[in-house]
Amino acid sequence: MSAPSTAPPAVRRSPARGPRVLPFPVTGQEVVLLGVIAVLWAVLGAATPAFLTSGSVVPLLVATAPIALIGVGMTVVIISGGIDVSVGSVVMVCAVVTAEAMTSAGVPLLVAVGLSIAVGGLLGLVNGTLVAYGRVHAIIITFGTLNVFRFVGLQVFGGSTVDGIPPTLAVFGRGEAGRTLGVPHSFLLVVVVAALFWYALRHTAGGRHYYAVGGDAHAARLAGVPVQRRVLLAYVLTGLLTGLAACFVIAQGTSTLAPNVGSGMELAAIAAVVIGGTSIMGGRGSVLGTVLGALLVQTVASGITQLGWPSQLSSLFIGLFIIVAVGVDLLRQRTRRSA
Amino acid sequence: MTTSAPSQRERRTAPREPSPGGSRGGAARLRGLVASAGRAVLTQRVVLLVVLLVAVVATFTTLSARNYLSAPYDAPYMALALINAVPLVMLGLAQLLVITSGRGGIDLSVGAVVSLTGMVFGLALGEWGWSLAAAVVLAAVFGAACGALNGVLVAYVGFPPLITTLATYYVFSSLAIVITGQQPISTEPVQELYGAARAVPVLGSGPDAIALPLSILTFLVPTVLVVWVLLNRTTYGRRLYAIGTNDVAAEWAGIDVRRTRFLAFAGAGLVSGLVAVVTTAQFASARPDAGTAGSGMALPAITIAVLGGVAITGGIGRVAGVVLAALLVVWLDAGILLAIPGNAGSQFQLLALGVVLVAAALLNGLTARRFGTT
Repeated sequence: MSAPSTAPPAVRRSPARGPRVLPFPVTGQEVVLLGVIAVLWAVLGAATPAFLTSGSVVPLLVATAPIALIGVGMTVVIISGGIDVSVGSVVMVCAVVTAEAMTSAGVPLLVAVGLSIAVGGLLGLVNGTLVAYGRVHAIIITFGTLNVFRFVGLQVFGGSTVDGIPPTLAVFGRGEAGRTLGVPHSFLLVVVVAALFWYALRHTAGGRHYYAVGGDAHAARLAGVPVQRRVLLAYVLTGLLTGLAACFVIAQGTSTLAPNVGSGMELAAIAAVVIGGTSIMGGRGSVLGTVLGALLVQTVASGITQLGWPSQLSSLFIGLFIIVAVGVDLLRQRTRRSA
Repeated sequence: MTTSAPSQRERRTAPREPSPGGSRGGAARLRGLVASAGRAVLTQRVVLLVVLLVAVVATFTTLSARNYLSAPYDAPYMALALINAVPLVMLGLAQLLVITSGRGGIDLSVGAVVSLTGMVFGLALGEWGWSLAAAVVLAAVFGAACGALNGVLVAYVGFPPLITTLATYYVFSSLAIVITGQQPISTEPVQELYGAARAVPVLGSGPDAIALPLSILTFLVPTVLVVWVLLNRTTYGRRLYAIGTNDVAAEWAGIDVRRTRFLAFAGAGLVSGLVAVVTTAQFASARPDAGTAGSGMALPAITIAVLGGVAITGGIGRVAGVVLAALLVVWLDAGILLAIPGNAGSQFQLLALGVVLVAAALLNGLTARRFGTT
């Protein structure tokens, strides 16, 4: 805040004279992120020769996939002015239902994936209906459904782990079956989904509606945007993508699924969205940034492991990255406003 | 309705003095009372919570009397269950301070502050040989410093609170684990602290005595009193509600909005620091994941605050609501544990918490539209 403390923010109109921050050379958070990731990869490649080999990069991309996928949905939700903290529990429910179906009924790949996506969509529908038509703040609703979904998931688990999961989902895994020409399928899917969402949000009327709703829901309603339907759809989309991400999570794990699956993923996904430059206040953001944000987070985690540092240090860096990303964003907004 | 004007008036005055004029019929007076009581339940969160609390206790006491429960649900059991209310109420009050300050105020980092402060407290007491009093003061100061970091970023730099505290959540929880290389501290001075978590008889004697966990008396009650006085009897409290309601108007009224908001975050950190002491005593060990294991302490604390009627948009919130919400959840959980033993019981606790939270929030939204603002 450059205004003196006695003047309210609303009257800050003329740009502050005096030492001005130079306009940022690049305008998009994506460019900044690409640069940061490139620098990190170069540094890590120099520090540990094993980093820039396919044996290291492929697992990195595979591990990025679930968070990036959930993050894409979360981006739509956050752009529309909401938030969904229940995705960790949604991952858990989808994963356990799918794993149970595969172990006990031996369902084939397509059915397993379809089931997981359907369950995710259903849970997203619950969230979306409550948020859109209950007129309660999204964070409260999703805090509530977080607990309810976790209950549902634990009931399916039945107090133990799911063991002996067949390798039906290996096409999404880190193994040889999960790659075509060395590129992991899960990451390819993320790229395709992100491209679709990027196009829809940017170039279709329905996509622009989300920005309108997040910018000012009341104005959007007056302009003819079906606000409640859009909000509902945002949560359903997040649920669907989270269901797909749950398949990735199963594929990346061992043949045993423990009840703590998915815990903490909501915060990781929100972190990826925020690092990607989406404003938590709504109305601004992009899914490409989110994918890059997820990639950055995973790069840090993987780099720290390869450097032999304690793996918990990675969350320290995630925290610092969030602060820097938001700081850069604030700075950019301010220079744009005063320019 | 022909009697609408007088009954309206009576409805408004009924809660305090039923009806001074004796000329009106008893039936009408009763109807007015029922209507105002119903309206109070719907619009006043504290009244709703009291009704729910009575319903929960009555239900489980009845079930207990008919031997449906695996152990008696009586006063001593309920008193012992209060140990779980200590972190819930204290962190709920921390959220009350922060959420009331408005502009999307929320603190996701309280659990991580509890972890990190617990480690610092454990180091001071168990490794550096500090006295208990000095270590407790250090914990409070350290927690306040963590909260102050949030406060500076939110109030002075202008970061959104959700993001700031998400970031510091990561930073603090990581530091808490790295600081001792994942090892908990449970040297002798820390283990002796377990005595601070024991139950002391407060009512009666012998096996029937009602024993309260000591941390209720040493930490919970003082914190509740201090926060209540702060919010209701000091100019700081008035300022906090003012900036939460409309911070532009508050700034025009000459309130230092940034300082007020900063202090709310620092206060939340201080309370979290004290929770770290309680948690360390309860486990007889300073654990690096004390406040972040599982879904952590922050989400339940926010849930309690919201259930207690703290408006997520700021400016509205009462200490009594937070305390009642925590009591409701703790005694409901305690009852569920007896009704559904084992693993399933703790799962149904999640269901109960989620349903109560969503239902209370929806009810609030509904009544706000029906009766105007709450």
